[in-house]
Amino acid sequence: MGKNMDSNRFKAATGFFLVLIVAFIISVVACVVTHTTPQALINNLTSAEILFAIRLSLITATASTVLCMIIAIPAGYALSRYDFPGKSIANTVVNIPLALPPLVAGVGLLLFFGQTALGKGLTSIGLDFVFTPLGIVIAQFFINVPFAIRIMRSTFDSINPRYEHVAKTLGCNETNAFWKVTLPMSKNGLLASSAISWAKGMGEFGAVLMLAGATRMKTETLPLAVYLNMSSGDLELAIAAATILIIVSFSALYVLEKYGGDANIY
Amino acid sequence: MLDIRNLYTDLGEFSLEGIDLHVNEDEYFVILGPTGAGKTILLETIAGIYPAEQGKIILRDKEITEIPPKDRPVNMVYQDYMLFPHLTVEENIRFGLEVEEFSEDVISKRVSKFVDLLDLENLLHRYSRTLSGGERQRVALARSLVMDPDLLLLDEPISALDVPSQERIMKELKEIHRETDVTILQVTHSREKAIRMGDRVGVMREGKIVQTGDSSEVFKKPDSEFIANFIGTDNIFEGNSKLDDGIAHVQLQNGGEIVSVSDKEGHVKACIRPEEIMISKTPIDSSGRNTMKGEIVNISERESTIQLDIDAGIEIAVKITKKSYSDMDLNKGDELYLSFKATAVHLI
Repeated sequence: MGKNMDSNRFKAATGFFLVLIVAFIISVVACVVTHTTPQALINNLTSAEILFAIRLSLITATASTVLCMIIAIPAGYALSRYDFPGKSIANTVVNIPLALPPLVAGVGLLLFFGQTALGKGLTSIGLDFVFTPLGIVIAQFFINVPFAIRIMRSTFDSINPRYEHVAKTLGCNETNAFWKVTLPMSKNGLLASSAISWAKGMGEFGAVLMLAGATRMKTETLPLAVYLNMSSGDLELAIAAATILIIVSFSALYVLEKYGGDANIY
Repeated sequence: MLDIRNLYTDLGEFSLEGIDLHVNEDEYFVILGPTGAGKTILLETIAGIYPAEQGKIILRDKEITEIPPKDRPVNMVYQDYMLFPHLTVEENIRFGLEVEEFSEDVISKRVSKFVDLLDLENLLHRYSRTLSGGERQRVALARSLVMDPDLLLLDEPISALDVPSQERIMKELKEIHRETDVTILQVTHSREKAIRMGDRVGVMREGKIVQTGDSSEVFKKPDSEFIANFIGTDNIFEGNSKLDDGIAHVQLQNGGEIVSVSDKEGHVKACIRPEEIMISKTPIDSSGRNTMKGEIVNISERESTIQLDIDAGIEIAVKITKKSYSDMDLNKGDELYLSFKATAVHLI
């Protein structure tokens, strides 16, 4: 009996902390979305500045997601299937952007594209990343590609290589076996990986701020719209941009829960 | 047909340590070995999944050691089938033919041949996750067989199935072997399957083939202590079975008759475990039993038992405990009466 009461008390105590944090999160989100009236929100959402930010965010997040997947599919596959010298170093390096504060990553990107010979060379052929929308894409890509690689790697880990073996005995070469068997079988991982790259791209702030700057109506993505309008006291516009970011986050969370499966993100 | 010479492959966990193996044209060859002997990697190396580090693989006089898996006339069915989960049964079966860009005419002809043979008509539009183990196995077989391979490799095709499905697959494998000109190389850890399926048997241990021969020969005359312990020294006699009221009367090839509780008719192999045989120095009179009279020709000591080889028209091995051996005071040349129950005789 005493033991039972003890365990009930413990249950209540841990539960209390859970309730506390759930209430806190809900309150914070609710503060943003309930700050204005629906009418004011719609007006602000259709303002030229917010429409620009929505459009720019959609384009850059989509472009950086495509870029992430182009790299993450082969890189994740190599990490999952092959043993090679330097594999564990490669694995660690690939994860560096995960641990780096995005602001610091942004400084690095700015120096890389602004100061090095390679960066200057790219600028001279028209690929200018500093303070341009192109920089937004690269900044989002740099921050998000480790997540994409991790998800793709664990997706490929979960697919028995014997499927490819069978495909090879049935007439496929390596490339064919990958395209016809492994990639279609990775559908959920691809979806989860793209969803998280896209949603994080939509919300990326620190690295974008450093590399692409915060120029109104030029490099103004949704997070930068929140930042710029908060700085200038236009709370209503800031909230309109923030509301969209909340919707994006919830959608991404839903896709991850549904298709993420056992893909191991962290 | 298949000649393997001094084959080495090393995957760390498993390895092949100098495999020598010869499989004849149209043969059903079974490799028997315990878990970890390297059976699956042997098949995978023959299929070309893993490169050989040393040695040669020769198929129909053509060396295939270095050529990629897709160009070898070899197909493989894994123990866990490996049906492509994103494709339907029909798409799975067509997969290889489509990769090789056969004409639709050829594809549908070959597919329907094996769909009929393996009775897959009703499954064609289903996905593998909705199929039973036996159904998956049949689809995997069809997917390999439509490629018309010279050599079909089977990795434990039966052991993972429930008993009725096992019976069905064993019958179908025999039928496939009869109706196509494919040579089959199967690996298993089960003695019974090896005896039942194999024209010839090879025993594998730690990356080596340690003995090959006709199944009855390998089981009767194990080359080593390891083989004897692993396969158990079953008494196996070929004969002809006739059913009479639930009892099978087996006329042995070398004379004599034994009875068994079984429903198998025709050509059979009768297996009797040596420890199921009782011996006595005086005649045993008991109905429903098999009784024989014979002479001890050899006495050998095993781990915890004594094996007596007895000539009773057929040579039969009997295992007794060391205690009864000394109690009975047995010597070479002694006459003995043997008896074993009809239920102790296993017909395959």
